[in-house]
Amino acid sequence: MGKHIKIALILTILMVVLGVVLGFVYMITEKPIAKSDLEAKLSAIKFVLTSPQTGKLLVNKNQIPTSLAQLDSKIWKSNPSGLLYKDPKYPGYVLSPVYKFLGKDGLPIYVLTGYGIGFGGKVVTVAAFIQQRDKKFYENAIDVINYSSETPGLGAKINNNNVRRRFFSIPNSGFKRGVKVNKDANLFPLPSDYISKLGQYKKEGIVVTSDVMTGATITPRAVVNTLNAMYDFLEKEAR
Amino acid sequence: MANASKTSFGTFTAGLIRENPTFAQVLGLCPTLATSTNANNALGMGLAATGVLILSNIFISSIRKIIPDQIRIPAYISVIAALVTIVDLLMHGYMYHLWTNLGLYVPLIVVNCIIMGRAEAFASKNSVWKSFLDGLGMGLGFIGAILLLGITREVLGNGTIFGYRLWPKAYAVFVTVLPPGAFLIIGFYMAIFHHISIVRKSRKRA
Repeated sequence: MGKHIKIALILTILMVVLGVVLGFVYMITEKPIAKSDLEAKLSAIKFVLTSPQTGKLLVNKNQIPTSLAQLDSKIWKSNPSGLLYKDPKYPGYVLSPVYKFLGKDGLPIYVLTGYGIGFGGKVVTVAAFIQQRDKKFYENAIDVINYSSETPGLGAKINNNNVRRRFFSIPNSGFKRGVKVNKDANLFPLPSDYISKLGQYKKEGIVVTSDVMTGATITPRAVVNTLNAMYDFLEKEAR
Repeated sequence: MANASKTSFGTFTAGLIRENPTFAQVLGLCPTLATSTNANNALGMGLAATGVLILSNIFISSIRKIIPDQIRIPAYISVIAALVTIVDLLMHGYMYHLWTNLGLYVPLIVVNCIIMGRAEAFASKNSVWKSFLDGLGMGLGFIGAILLLGITREVLGNGTIFGYRLWPKAYAVFVTVLPPGAFLIIGFYMAIFHHISIVRKSRKRA
């Protein structure tokens, strides 16, 4: 009996010591982690508010937030639960808050954060949608800010520039049908002239990823599910 | 395998080549193959695992006389899990890009056989100083092995080294970045290490 108590006591003391050490490290790293996450978000917002075609900002430079306070001033919709919308058909979610910016041409630009379920967990994407004069939405660009559960070398390539570009500039017509990756849209194998047709495929709601993400379909599927959820949310809330 | 009779120098050098954790002991292959797709990721994973290995060896060696034999495995796992959580928090805070790239393999360092293997085979039986040297030697051996794989796969699969282009992508052998390529390349290096080991043994006998 005494032996068992001794073992229990030793394990308890060990756990308490480890718990104290972990708590101490957590306190030290809490602010740097929040800072890293904020920097990643601010950088992503600036990125998605840049035109992929011209490389120029779609909003005036002074509108780009550089601190949490400036970012908070751009909040358009928020929800204390942290979740604004869940796609009823696919695992795509829109997170709170959604930001609204005013473009140089006077058009509203919505910046949304959302996630889909990838190979290892959440794949978090930031995307900008421009509401055009006819009230239809045009997706400008995306940035994948958290893919830490995806396989390095495969799914984790989702934020490589050559992969990310495939999700840029999707027009309203593409979202009407629901955006899909080319394998899910039965566009596989790809025709020899597919590179020249990437824009056309986007109008049809097809994002070609199988050539740049070989061996990883689940991660880009998580991104398109997120984009579809974002579009549905805007259709419901911003029309 | 390492034992208590080795000198400090012998303890340190054992893990570099003779008892290399990857090529000689064939430990921790899952994270090694998965994260060695390029040199940057391989170096990051190697450094993170080495940090945990050194600290866990020191910690486990220093508590080896207190921990009863019956509970040594859960105690070691708890220590290793706590150290990995610390590394994960530090990487999230100070190396965000690398943390995102290494993904789920940082938390999985907890179950890396190299760390548990050294805790059980060496740190639980040796002094803190020797355990530190063992952790350092084995860690450097692991970094060398994973970096060799990462560089080979990146050069062959992308035509780059640490992101710097060596030749056009058109000449890249893409399969080396994929899982089958990882097995082919590690098999190739294991064969070389095995051959060197056989040659050295035959020379000693002669």
